[in-house]
Amino acid sequence: MSDLAQLILSGVALGMIYALLAFGYSVTFSTSRTINFAQGEFLMVGALVGLAMETKLHLPYLGATVGAAIAGVFLGLLLEYAAIRRALRTGSTATWILATVALGIILRNAAERIWGTDDLPFPAPFGSDPLIVGGVRILPQEILVIVVAALIMGALELFRRRSAYGKAITAVAADKDAAALMGINVGRVMTLSFVISSVLAAVAGVLVAPLTLVSPTMGTLLGTKAYAVAIIGGLQSGVGGVVGGLLLGLTEQFTARYISTGFKDTPGFVLLILILLVKPSGLFGKRTVRKV
Amino acid sequence: MVILRRLRWALLLLPLLVPLITSNEYIVHSVLVKACVYAIVVAGLDLVVGYNGDVSVGHAGLFAVGAYTAAILMTKLGMSYWLALPLAVALTALVGVGLGIPSLRLQGPYLAVTTIAFGMIIQTFINESVWLTEGSQGIQNIPALRLPGGLDFEGNHLFYLAYPVMMLALIAAHRVVRSYWGRAFLALKANPIAAECSGVNRYRYKVSAFVLSAAFAGLAGALFVHIDKYVGPTTFSLQLSILFLIALIFGGLRSIAGNVIGAVLVVVLPDVFNRFADYQLLVFGLLLLATLYLLPGGLVSLWHVATTAMARRSSAVPPVVDRSRARSGVPRDGPPAIVPPTAGAGNEALLETEELTIAFGGLVAVNKLRLSLRRGEVRALIGPNGSGKSTTVNLLSGVYRPTSGHVKFAGHILDRAKPNDVSQAGIARTFQNPALFGEMSILENVLVGLHHTFRVGLIGIVLHTPGARREEARAVARARALLELVDLDAIADHRADSIAYGQQRRLEIARALAQDPRLILLDEPAAGLTSGEIDELQHLVEVMRDAGIAVLLIEHHMDFVMAVSDRVTVLDFGQQIAEGTPAEVQRDERVIRAYLGTEEPLDATTEGGARA
Repeated sequence: MSDLAQLILSGVALGMIYALLAFGYSVTFSTSRTINFAQGEFLMVGALVGLAMETKLHLPYLGATVGAAIAGVFLGLLLEYAAIRRALRTGSTATWILATVALGIILRNAAERIWGTDDLPFPAPFGSDPLIVGGVRILPQEILVIVVAALIMGALELFRRRSAYGKAITAVAADKDAAALMGINVGRVMTLSFVISSVLAAVAGVLVAPLTLVSPTMGTLLGTKAYAVAIIGGLQSGVGGVVGGLLLGLTEQFTARYISTGFKDTPGFVLLILILLVKPSGLFGKRTVRKV
Repeated sequence: MVILRRLRWALLLLPLLVPLITSNEYIVHSVLVKACVYAIVVAGLDLVVGYNGDVSVGHAGLFAVGAYTAAILMTKLGMSYWLALPLAVALTALVGVGLGIPSLRLQGPYLAVTTIAFGMIIQTFINESVWLTEGSQGIQNIPALRLPGGLDFEGNHLFYLAYPVMMLALIAAHRVVRSYWGRAFLALKANPIAAECSGVNRYRYKVSAFVLSAAFAGLAGALFVHIDKYVGPTTFSLQLSILFLIALIFGGLRSIAGNVIGAVLVVVLPDVFNRFADYQLLVFGLLLLATLYLLPGGLVSLWHVATTAMARRSSAVPPVVDRSRARSGVPRDGPPAIVPPTAGAGNEALLETEELTIAFGGLVAVNKLRLSLRRGEVRALIGPNGSGKSTTVNLLSGVYRPTSGHVKFAGHILDRAKPNDVSQAGIARTFQNPALFGEMSILENVLVGLHHTFRVGLIGIVLHTPGARREEARAVARARALLELVDLDAIADHRADSIAYGQQRRLEIARALAQDPRLILLDEPAAGLTSGEIDELQHLVEVMRDAGIAVLLIEHHMDFVMAVSDRVTVLDFGQQIAEGTPAEVQRDERVIRAYLGTEEPLDATTEGGARA
């Protein structure tokens, strides 16, 4: 019983990391019909910058998180400028996909040259000793991940629904031309969406780092699974990302525990193929009407 | 000329002499053989990226399936390589089916995501299935490739196998993309809805392209096992998938020469810049970005720039345009432009809609529409802006699905039919904003409309059978006749995005007529035309009617409507408010009110549209 509770907790914590990344995809996909294929690398940069803040500048965890978030802002601006805006001008889908993929390998290689290729430990703010509650061993960091991720996504959803800028994002998502005619600066809204998405990834990096080890290759697998999560939930749906993330996080934990640790990375792919066969627009996706 | 063409083929065999000139293991074995193998993958990848505009970031995974299948069949089952090779290709193609079917249902970045994930899963699978793949250790004891009579493909001799196989693969790819398949790919990439409405089955061709591409990767994988006589999981990383993409973009999309150049470069460059090995991904990433933005056509585009500059210098004489030919629908020689549809039972309705309704959320755009057309009838559908005319066209052509009601056409029920099925059933359409395939030539645009006339299969295309050639020649002759009908034959080789607006409209009509329709839906064909062009359009509509083709005409230009229509249906707020001959409709009070909001009679010269 306590074993099961632990599995569920770890699954939820992992799922919230996926959800943060997938939430980022949904923000950029809704405004620009693109997703960032370097999102996993953004997470990695966030974690490494956070680690540098802690070890070199001796900042507390919160400071490291803020440092990662600032790195995320710069990454978002870089992404939008170098890989999206110019690519969309070419009018080809392949261009932005390839451009973000290129950005990903550039970042990974650069991180390897700066931080080396070793796996580095990231100290957890509340220690790595598990709390024992009713026989269940709970890592404080897992609780932190769940709480912080939920707060961030809740706040963003409020921002999206209530604030003027959030409504501008929704408007651009619905109809770029109409939004532009209403005086919305579409370019700036798109940039904002990429900055939001990138900050989410970088912060997710600092959140997940104490649970895993930190290395230049840590983001690739997480990022890839988050694409799967975003599609499973529905590419334009924030809620879908959370549900998809939890679904995948839990499935992975159970697969690792009851089937084989070697295959713990496979459920994402299996779920992805299944959802595309059964409901290609995702669990929370809506069918869009094609316009002629 | 013929001799020159023969010589060109002989030139392709020249590289086979390289192993005789040099016995350098590095050049022949490590560079050339590997480049051949990569070129096969890249040419296959081009079908997906260059021709379909989708992206696969998992071709290393497919490459792995081919390599491991061949290696396992040879080492575990002791199978001959010549049997293992086709089986490896077949299995990889099958994996391609499994990936393509879920990934290509929707338009969007889905294929990129599933292929990335697939590439990772394949590595996991190889590492975990030790009983089959030897896990992380890899398969090492791959048998030597010997032929009877003491010949072998070992060492540098492997080039004598790799090069001809590559040539055959590239020729096959070349023939596919030059066939109606290639035109279907490009049309789908340029404008999926227009392609579907021209009779191309989007899903089938997208999946076929990916499966073909997978087969190429499988073939390359099966060759790859002999390079190192070893296959291990670390080879088939995400990095390799990205490397294939870099080779493709760097060499140049949609070019066989570009595929080969790109493959050679990604094999050679890492060795040349050995000192920067630690920065390899960084350099490749920057190279990819730079190529995408600064040289989107890749290295081969430099060649095209040079040759067109030279060609421009040598010939500056514009093509002679013969405007004297009468446009009667029957050219002097060659096939007729329009094949009259087979006559049905005399007075029976060709098209009948019953209570046709579509709602977008709360808005009912078309409400219980009853519309019927007889063979050879010209029926206008008019109404103020937003009255549901174009929505009706989209319903009838299968672009939208009705919320309720039925579309009956010549004995078929088309409520749930996809646009390509509707086209097949005999309804063709044009678009309110011309929807052409811009990068393709005018002739090719019409050939896409003739997609339904092709019967030859993939094997016939690859083998370039006489039947396939005859079919293509017949289609080209027919397309030229259609272009003559719409007066575009003189510029048949121009790109469709380079022509004037009125010409675009006529090209759309030619493409629609190519589908041998029994009913053609013209969505505001006169919009933006000069009065001279409208007269020509009127002549075209009459040619269609005389050939027995029914016409549903959406139009605001009232002179034109009243002149060509047999009957007129008037819509307002998605509902039919009047129906009758042009004269009857012009006198109808409700029509006058809908258009003008007054009691004044409708003036035949009004260019309607705006609700007063």
